[in-house]
Amino acid sequence: MKLRLPLLLLSLSWSAVTSADLHVVVVEGLGGEARYSEQFAEQVTAIANAAATMTSSDRVTLLRSDAATRDAVFSYFDELNASVDEDDRIAVYLVGHGSYDDHQYKFNVPGPDLTGEDLQELLDANPAGTQLLINTSSASGALQEHMTDGRRTLILATKSGVERHATRFGSYFTAALSAGSADLDKNNIVTAAEAFQFAERQVADYYERNGQLATEHPGMAGDNATRFGLARLGANVPVSNDTQLRELFTRRDAINASIEDLRLRRDAMTADEYQNELLQSMLELAILEDEIEQREAQLQE
Amino acid sequence: MKLRLAILALLSILAAGGESLARDIHYGAIDNADLLRCDRLTWTGKLSESRACYQQLLVGNAAAEIKAEAAWALGDLQSANAQFRVAAGQRPDSAAIRVRWGDLFAASHQDGEAMNIYREALELDAVNPFARLGAARLLVGGFDDEANAFLEPLLADQSVAAGARAAAWLLVARVSLENSNYARAEEALDAAETLLRDNDWPLLELYALRAAADLLDNVTESRYTQLSLQENPGFGDIYAIPAHFYVITRRYREAIDLYQKAVDIQPGHAEAHEELGVNLLRDNQMSRARMHLETAYKEDPFSPKAVNTLRLLDSFEDFDLISDPDTPGTGILPVLFRLHRDESAAILPYALELARDSIREFTARYGFELTEPVVIEMYPDHEDFAVRTAGMPGIGILGATFGYVVAMDSPSARPPEQFQWGTTLWHEMAHVFTLEATNHLVPRWFSEGVSVFEEWRSGPNQGVRIPLSVYTAMADDRFLPVAELDEGFIRPTYEEQVIVSYMQAGLVCQHIDEEYGTDKLRAMLYAFRDGMQTGAAIEAVLEMSPATFDKNFKRFVEIEHGEILASLDEWQRTQQSIAGHIAASEWASIVELAKHLIEILPQYVEPDSPYIALAKAQEEMGNHEAAMRALETYWRQGGYSPASLLKLAGWLREAGRSIDAIEVYKSVNMVDPFGEESHAAFGELLLEQDRAEEALREFAIALALNPHDKASAYYRMAMAQHALGNNEQSQAQLLLALDVAPNYRPAQRLLLEVMRTENGN
Repeated sequence: MKLRLPLLLLSLSWSAVTSADLHVVVVEGLGGEARYSEQFAEQVTAIANAAATMTSSDRVTLLRSDAATRDAVFSYFDELNASVDEDDRIAVYLVGHGSYDDHQYKFNVPGPDLTGEDLQELLDANPAGTQLLINTSSASGALQEHMTDGRRTLILATKSGVERHATRFGSYFTAALSAGSADLDKNNIVTAAEAFQFAERQVADYYERNGQLATEHPGMAGDNATRFGLARLGANVPVSNDTQLRELFTRRDAINASIEDLRLRRDAMTADEYQNELLQSMLELAILEDEIEQREAQLQE
Repeated sequence: MKLRLAILALLSILAAGGESLARDIHYGAIDNADLLRCDRLTWTGKLSESRACYQQLLVGNAAAEIKAEAAWALGDLQSANAQFRVAAGQRPDSAAIRVRWGDLFAASHQDGEAMNIYREALELDAVNPFARLGAARLLVGGFDDEANAFLEPLLADQSVAAGARAAAWLLVARVSLENSNYARAEEALDAAETLLRDNDWPLLELYALRAAADLLDNVTESRYTQLSLQENPGFGDIYAIPAHFYVITRRYREAIDLYQKAVDIQPGHAEAHEELGVNLLRDNQMSRARMHLETAYKEDPFSPKAVNTLRLLDSFEDFDLISDPDTPGTGILPVLFRLHRDESAAILPYALELARDSIREFTARYGFELTEPVVIEMYPDHEDFAVRTAGMPGIGILGATFGYVVAMDSPSARPPEQFQWGTTLWHEMAHVFTLEATNHLVPRWFSEGVSVFEEWRSGPNQGVRIPLSVYTAMADDRFLPVAELDEGFIRPTYEEQVIVSYMQAGLVCQHIDEEYGTDKLRAMLYAFRDGMQTGAAIEAVLEMSPATFDKNFKRFVEIEHGEILASLDEWQRTQQSIAGHIAASEWASIVELAKHLIEILPQYVEPDSPYIALAKAQEEMGNHEAAMRALETYWRQGGYSPASLLKLAGWLREAGRSIDAIEVYKSVNMVDPFGEESHAAFGELLLEQDRAEEALREFAIALALNPHDKASAYYRMAMAQHALGNNEQSQAQLLLALDVAPNYRPAQRLLLEVMRTENGN
């Protein structure tokens, strides 16, 4: 029997992702050369695919090619601001080249560039209570000192505006959105923090292994990256209002809370004591997950 | 003005010094009867009298340059420098003062500054013989042909000061001995002796070079040693100079004995202490080496070699010293590894396997059993390896073997596209055998030839691989006669000659092996052990003259590589044109051109190999099978680009060719053992093939590389342990994984399975 109950997108991470609406906009900047244009196009497609696993498709907006103008970005925000409130979240991706002349950062788009001041104005005016700006462009580090805000997290490809070479960060960051190895806690959701850590490490490894001086040092600022899910790995899991399943989820939350508590007590325990308690908790959790899977299978039939 | 600025800049460098430095025999570069009286006391070993003599000069009314010499002789370099500065100010037109000031800088290892001063002296006096001599000495040390331009006038012009001419002939003798040109050395020594005797200069240096010549003629108890000791019982160079010739012929233990004698009779001989320390390191005698290097530094704080080597020794605290097996009594000589702590876990398993395989292979082939443990050191910083090898940074080689001690770049020292570390280790292990089987008497070309040939025949990445530049040299007929092949290594005359000589030596050994048999190759080795030179060894073993051998070898090269040489220009033109097609994504053209290149030179697998271009083009055109075939052929020909090999391994795995994929992953590890993802993928493949022991090794390496995704790394370890029936270890790894990621479902499932297995249900 097919499940007839209403389906919702479920976050498998009970604490990692809030249930507020997520809006995603991806701006694809000018490539300049064919190889960069191809790279940026591939990255934007990968980001869009990842975003679609986290929110409904009508909340994912791509501004590409000739449509990715400064005016189009302003129009998007004008429209968005009318429909979001402080409970909502917004993720803004800028994929392309940037520049910095020691005074002003510019993201290169067709027509007038999008400046650092533009971005600040747009995000300041946006009501969403949780904002994430991911800028993979060269010189993007120039944004850091001007754009900090309690509700905002910044992920930038460079540490400052003077790192002006084309970056590799964007390709690694987008790769993280579909990489199981980026999902460090194995909850099947890649958070902004996990994607950043994955990309940051890959960038460092690249330069080290090739014996090159690193021309980019990614940076992250803000408090929400660990709770901001960017991509779900694997198939979306339907959730039901089944009472038994709800009860199992509640028990799972409790076990996870006890594991967190155990970790906090670790320093006061012997290694054996910790291992024994951990084993018991993990066995309990594993058995419970089996029960959840069985119940979900029953509901799918 | 320019001169003044140059000298002022140098003063600050010397001002920091202050310890004693060797003041060599000057052969009249400074002409002063009082100073000469003191010097003669020194040269005859009357050290207390000479010190008193120099001290008298210092307190008397001697000219500043004489006081400078006295201060230098007494080890007070600051005063010496100050006095030379005063002297140069008082007599700005004196070339002689500048020459000796230059000599002071040369003695303090500041060759560039010394050369500047010699040139300034030559501006003042264009034919100054001692300025020419000083410049020639520096340039000879740097293997520079410009040395001849300075030396020739001294040798040819009878009107030049006899002391300078004598010193020039001594320099010629030394270089000739280094070049194995013994007749020329003898001629030079005779010329020098006449001049020295006629002008009553000391014969000490002459005796030392004659003793070195005797040593190279296998006369170890030279009569010249006794003559020197009679003249001056404290002249350490009578041992140190011959020791140098043991070093350059790689007889390090014999060199150690002589350097020890040098410091025994002249405890303040900084250079002998330094060389003793460096050569003790080559014999893995670390504590004794450090003691002598510290003494060298104390006596001569200017020496970069002593400073560099002591710093390297300090860095050893960051290295793991691993012995395998770690307990004696197994009947197998252990292999010792000194590997950097950050990478030892990733390198050791493969390095050990290679070392053991090579020992087995070479023992059987060359009929020689090692008698001591081999020590293998790998340096992640190439400059550390360079210091280990030569005491100084800046050498271009990848590995060096000193007998039972092998030092080389670690896989992380160079980008993986440029360095086959496994092949390098194999090459160096062959040197261990050729050196030790011959008591280090093997000529350089034969040792290198065997090593290169063994890379091709039995190494981890087999196949004859010859760089394009060497093909060009072959086409230009630049191979040397076999009896002169060592020259190509020791005194190259064109930029690429060393690598050309490596390849020629490898081809010579391949020719001997294939044409006359492996037993003849082995017999050559033992002919060298018995003291034969190359020509004699060829005549004795191959029963032909070297000239006949050269003809046969040339025919061999023509048969093996003639077709390539005939098409070399065409190949290069085509190769250059292919880059444009790649940039334009003209895949069909690339396929055609790459196939043509491969047809001409199928074994070309360097980073710009046409196989890689062909695979890329076929992939772009949707011809997956053809792309895989191209990369597979590339790999089988010895291609080693890790990116290409990883792509091939993935394709082979997808195609169900797991056994081939495993072999490709092994090849990747011989080039780049630091890819945690490739170790994980390789391990998973091995696990699929029920090769859990090997899988565990790969997973352990992946974990040791500090992977980003630790939960997965622990989980893989747990899978392998579970497959091996080690449930306790499996459970431990699972708890580590779940500690990082409590909701990791595969780990949870395996934990339940392990617990059920443990509980018997």
